Amino acid sequence: MAVGDLIQPLFSTAIVPAAFGGVAWGILGGALPGISPSITMALLLPFTYGMDSTVAVVLLASTYVGAEYGGSIPAILIGTPGTNAAAATVIDGYEMKRQGKAGEALGISLYSGFVGGLFGFLVLVLLTERLSSVALAFTPSSYFSLGMLGLSVIASLAGDSLLKGLIAGVLGLMVATVGTDPVTGLNRFTFGSPELLSGIPPILVMVGLFAVSEMLVQTTAPDWEKATRESARIRFPTPAMWRRIAKPQAIGSLIGAFEGMMPGAGGSISSFLAYNEARRWSRHGEEFGHGSPEGIAAPEAANNTVACTALVPMLSLGIPSSNSAAVLLGGFLMHELVPGPMLFVQHGEVVRGLYAGLLVANIAMLIIGYLIMSPCIWLVSRPKPYLMAFIYALVVSGVYAYQGSLFNVGVALAFGVVGYALRYFAVPFLPMVLGVVLGFMIESNYRRALVLSNGDLSTFVRNPISAALLATALVVLAGSLMRHSKTRAAAR
Amino acid sequence: MKARDLIFGIATLVVAILYYGVAATIPPSELADPVGPQGLPKTYAVLLAALSLLLIARSVRRPVSNPEPSSPESRIPSPASPLPRVTGMLLIGIAYILVLPWLGYFLSIAALITVTIYFQGGSINVRSILVALSGAALFWLLFIWLLRIQYPAGIWPSVI
Repeated sequence: MAVGDLIQPLFSTAIVPAAFGGVAWGILGGALPGISPSITMALLLPFTYGMDSTVAVVLLASTYVGAEYGGSIPAILIGTPGTNAAAATVIDGYEMKRQGKAGEALGISLYSGFVGGLFGFLVLVLLTERLSSVALAFTPSSYFSLGMLGLSVIASLAGDSLLKGLIAGVLGLMVATVGTDPVTGLNRFTFGSPELLSGIPPILVMVGLFAVSEMLVQTTAPDWEKATRESARIRFPTPAMWRRIAKPQAIGSLIGAFEGMMPGAGGSISSFLAYNEARRWSRHGEEFGHGSPEGIAAPEAANNTVACTALVPMLSLGIPSSNSAAVLLGGFLMHELVPGPMLFVQHGEVVRGLYAGLLVANIAMLIIGYLIMSPCIWLVSRPKPYLMAFIYALVVSGVYAYQGSLFNVGVALAFGVVGYALRYFAVPFLPMVLGVVLGFMIESNYRRALVLSNGDLSTFVRNPISAALLATALVVLAGSLMRHSKTRAAAR
Repeated sequence: MKARDLIFGIATLVVAILYYGVAATIPPSELADPVGPQGLPKTYAVLLAALSLLLIARSVRRPVSNPEPSSPESRIPSPASPLPRVTGMLLIGIAYILVLPWLGYFLSIAALITVTIYFQGGSINVRSILVALSGAALFWLLFIWLLRIQYPAGIWPSVI
C-alpha cells in the first residue's frame, strides 16, 4: 500500500475528528476501573449506526487504541488497573507514584503506548492484505471451514474450562439461528414476534454481555479509590530515559505484535509476558517491582501494539482474536461490511480509511493523552452512584438509537442477565459472542456447499483451501486441548 | 464451584431439550436443501445436551473444585452478591421501557438517572435532581438534536 493511499482518506471524510474523538472516548472509558476496552467500544457501537461506515470503524478502532492507554491512568494513580491489560503496569507504575513520580510514570506510559501503537500499525498494514489475498479464491465450503477455524478459537478463549467454553459457543450458535432461515426463508424461533424475523443483532448480544452484565456486577462491587488532581501532571521522558526504555519498548512491541495475532492472547497476557521478558533482559532487573520505568514501558508498549495487531486476523479472515476485536467486528457487520478477502476488493476505501484513522489515532493519543488528564481525574473521582446512573442512561439510549426499538432495549437487558449468569457460573462469554457472530456464516455456507455438491460431504476436504482451513482448525483445537490437559495435570 | 457447575449443567440441559422441542416444530419446506431448516438447530441441541451431560457428570464425579477461569471477562460476582440489587437495576431498566412511550425521552431518562443514583446509595436531594435534569438535557441534545434519533415524544405534546 502506497503512502498516498494512507494520506488521501484523511482529506475526504471525517476520519481525523473520528480518530481524535474515539481516542478521547477510549481514554475516558479505559480510565474507569471495570470498564474494559470492549465495554467502552460496545457502549459506542449503537451510535455508529447512522454514520458513514469508514468513520464508524475508525471511531471504534480509535476507541480501542485510546482505551489501552487509558487503563494505565488509574493503574498508576490509584493502583487499580482501568483495564485488564493495565494490570502489569500497576506493579511499577503505582510504586513510582508512591515515590512522587506519578507524572514521569504517566509520561512513560503514554510515550511507550505511542511507540507500541506505531509498531502495531506497521505490522497491521504490512500483513493484513497479504493474508486476505489468499482468501479471494474462497467458495462456500471454504467459508464454512473458515467459520469452523473461527470456532476452534473457542478452545483458546475458554479459560480453564474447555467444556464450559464449548457450551457457551453452542449457546451462541443457537442464538444465531433465531430469525429467517438463510436458505428456505422459513421463520425459526421467532415465536410470532416480528421484531425477531431478522434475527438477534450481534450488537445487542455484545452490549448485553459486556456492558449491561458489567454494570450489574458493579452494582455490588465496592467503590474504587479516588485520585488527586495534583498527582497527575504528565512529564515526558528525558533523552536519558528514552534510551533506557527503548529496549523494553522493543520487547513489548515484538511480544504484542505476536500475541495480538494469536487467538485468545490479547492485551493482558502480552503485557505480563512483556513485563517478564523486560525484567529478564534488563540491566536493572532488581528495580522491577520497586518503581522501574522499564516495568511500565514494556507492558504499555505491548498492550498498545495488540490494539493494532489484533485487527490482522479480524480484517483478513473475519476471525476476532479478542473481545475488543469481536466488538469491532460487530461494528463492521452493522454496516454490512464483511471482514475477509472481499472487504479489500469491495470496500478498499474503508480499509484504507481505517489504516489512516489508526495512524491518526496513535498520534492523537499523544496529544489527547496529555490534554485529557484533568477530565480523567475528574471522572474517576465522581461518586459511583452518579457514574453508574450515567452509564445506564447511555446504554439504554444507545441501544434504542440503533434501530429505534424499545424491544431491542429489552433484548440487551436480557443478554445482560445472561452475561451476569455466565459470570456467576464462571463461564467465559467470548465463545458465545463468537458463536453469534459466526453462526450465520457457518450455517448458510455449510448448506450452500452441500446444495452445490448434491449433498456430498467430501466437498469440504476436496477443496484445498477448505481442507487447509479445517486442518488448521484441528491443529488449533489439538494445541489447546494439549495445553488444557497439561494445565490440569499441573493442577493435580 | 462444583455445585455451580452442576446447576449450570442442568440449566443448559433444560435449554437443549426445550430448544430441540421448538426446532422439531419447524415445518419442512418444499425448497429444503439436504440439511433443511431443522438440521443444524437439532444438531446444536444434541451437542449442547451432550456437553451439559459431560459437565454434570464431571461435577458429580470430581471431588476437587474447578480452578477459576483465567479469562479476564469472567470475573465472578461474589457469592454473597445480593440478588435484590441486581434485580432492582434490571427493574429500573424495565420501568424505563414501560414509561418511555408515556413520559417521552427527556423525563424518562431523567427519572432513570435519579432512581439509579438513589438505588446505588446516593441520596435524593436538590443536587442529585439537578444532576439528573442536566444529564437528561445532555442526552437529549446528543441523541435527539445531534443524532436526530426519533424517540417517543410522550403524552405531553397532545396535552399541551
